[in-house]
Amino acid sequence: MPRVQREANVTWAGNVARGSGAISAGTGAFDELPYSLATRIERPDGKTSPEELLAAAHAACFAMSVASELTSAGTPPEHLDVTATVTLDQVEDGSHRIVSSELLARARVTGVDAAGFERLAQAASEGCTLSKLIEASAKVTVNARLEGGTDGD
Amino acid sequence: MATDRKAEVTWQGDLMSGNGSIDSVTSGAFGGLDVSWPARSEAPEGKTSPEELIAAAHSSCFSMAFSNGLASNQTPATRLNVTADVEFTPGTGITGIKLTVRGVVDGMSNEDFVKAAEAAKTGCPVSQALSGTTITLDAALA
Repeated sequence: MPRVQREANVTWAGNVARGSGAISAGTGAFDELPYSLATRIERPDGKTSPEELLAAAHAACFAMSVASELTSAGTPPEHLDVTATVTLDQVEDGSHRIVSSELLARARVTGVDAAGFERLAQAASEGCTLSKLIEASAKVTVNARLEGGTDGD
Repeated sequence: MATDRKAEVTWQGDLMSGNGSIDSVTSGAFGGLDVSWPARSEAPEGKTSPEELIAAAHSSCFSMAFSNGLASNQTPATRLNVTADVEFTPGTGITGIKLTVRGVVDGMSNEDFVKAAEAAKTGCPVSQALSGTTITLDAALA
């Protein structure tokens, strides 16, 4: 398969405490999203952050993996809801580290029971390139729930 | 103090012909961003992807860490421009990230600028979270 490149650009002005930056996507899908230190580690006040973008990347990657696993099992999802929650914490030396990413998949799918869906969701995380990378330094947890169907109750 | 940031994605259908949307995020800064496998693995056609979001996460994290490092060194940046280029090989995964930074900093040599950029590359939380891939850096004063 050919390699695919995706890029994003940031301009930052000023020092870290009072400065701010703007984040733009190469594809144009988002443009000049503002961010700052205060909104990164305290209340977001409508501003995104590196961790929020990582959560969005992880959720999108995991959603595609779950869809792929369910399809391979012969039970493509009717509807799939995925969330990723990324936690940034201060560690002993005072620096900040990304300590975890918690994944939750909720699916409406026919022909899979709860245990089967949990297994597929686990396999989907193992197959998601971002889970593999994040797991090297932080905890990735996977939760899976069937919704709205007649199976798996 | 721990900070949580959450993103919610919905997906319909199988991987190849289905499609998804990044519906909402904690801050509300963006939402309703479409994603699909063809847009991720071939021509994007205006759609974002996990790799582009990683590029955004990494470039924004690195910029902040670098501006912090420069300020601690008594050589605060006037302006930094950072691009992260994420390489994705379908079937293998993320195979590399290239950070490019050009900065305007008064009273600093290019050599010291490069050294400080290397430290920021190592220290930024997103670099640490993605340390399983190869991260390269091209740093120079503008």
